[in-house]
Amino acid sequence: MERTLDENWKTCFAQLGPALLLFARRWANCRADAEDIVQEAFVRFWRRQHSIENRALLYATVRSTALDRLRSDQRRARREAAVALDRDEHSEPCFSTADEGQQLLAAAVERLPDEQREVVILKVWNELTFAEIATVLEISQNTAASRYRYALGALKKSLQPHE
Amino acid sequence: MNDFSELESELKRLRPTEVGDALFQRIERALLRPNETATAETATAGIIPRQPSRTGTWWSLGLGLTAATVLILLGLGFFAPPQTKTTPTVAQETPAASTSPSLTSGLQPSALTQTVYRQRDEGLVFSPNQSERLLRRVRYDTRETMQWRNPQTGASLRVSYPAEQVVLTPVSFQ
Repeated sequence: MERTLDENWKTCFAQLGPALLLFARRWANCRADAEDIVQEAFVRFWRRQHSIENRALLYATVRSTALDRLRSDQRRARREAAVALDRDEHSEPCFSTADEGQQLLAAAVERLPDEQREVVILKVWNELTFAEIATVLEISQNTAASRYRYALGALKKSLQPHE
Repeated sequence: MNDFSELESELKRLRPTEVGDALFQRIERALLRPNETATAETATAGIIPRQPSRTGTWWSLGLGLTAATVLILLGLGFFAPPQTKTTPTVAQETPAASTSPSLTSGLQPSALTQTVYRQRDEGLVFSPNQSERLLRRVRYDTRETMQWRNPQTGASLRVSYPAEQVVLTPVSFQ
């Protein structure tokens, strides 16, 4: 799909940005770091004039960007230093919640293991297929599907009232 | 998956926090900026171009050149025209091993081994030529050993040096 820089990238980013940020939080200690990752990945993706419909490629770009940043010594040092900190104390909310039920659900999503959470993020808020998720995360489709099922099971369990 | 349908609906109702104006402005500035990293982007497309690690390359190159120099020098010695043979006499002394050219001639390649001692999957990169083409980059650190042997005298020569190989495998998206 050919397009120019003048095309309304803002419309695309307004639609995709929140989910991209959510996805990038997996590798970031804070929202600012996630924004750095998303900015860099989106700019490169857009300049390449890739089809915006190719979500898997966009998310693969975000993931590669994040991993490359983590590989650099400076980022690694920052990350290692931050490991000792309590993650929850320093993280901003990832979701806009309307009521208490949604707050509980958002908190439950945040508590999911990273590998399950990223599958849920890609599946629910980005509407990627398991095949696309498998490509983005470099795992098998079965693994992607099973992580999703485990995640939903964990969410359901955590939302059940305690007896 | 049906027993999760209600939960999935609930999840979809949950909205990720919106992107701030500051991020829009940063992206806009970045897009308006001249493509200052065009050269680097050409190589890796949507991925941050990492500074290529030259250390290993130079190290390999240095060792390779050293090995090649040694080979050439040895080869000059090995394959020099044989000295004119004098008619052997009964009283001739046994020639010293260090001065005998015949000892080192007739070397034949006998072995070539490549040992992979480290493999690093560096993830997905974009093809430098076809920007849409996604490739998986795997880097192999190897040690290559070449060996020559003289079947008559049993003399052998072995040269070993580290090497680095990068393999790009196409990945397809659906």
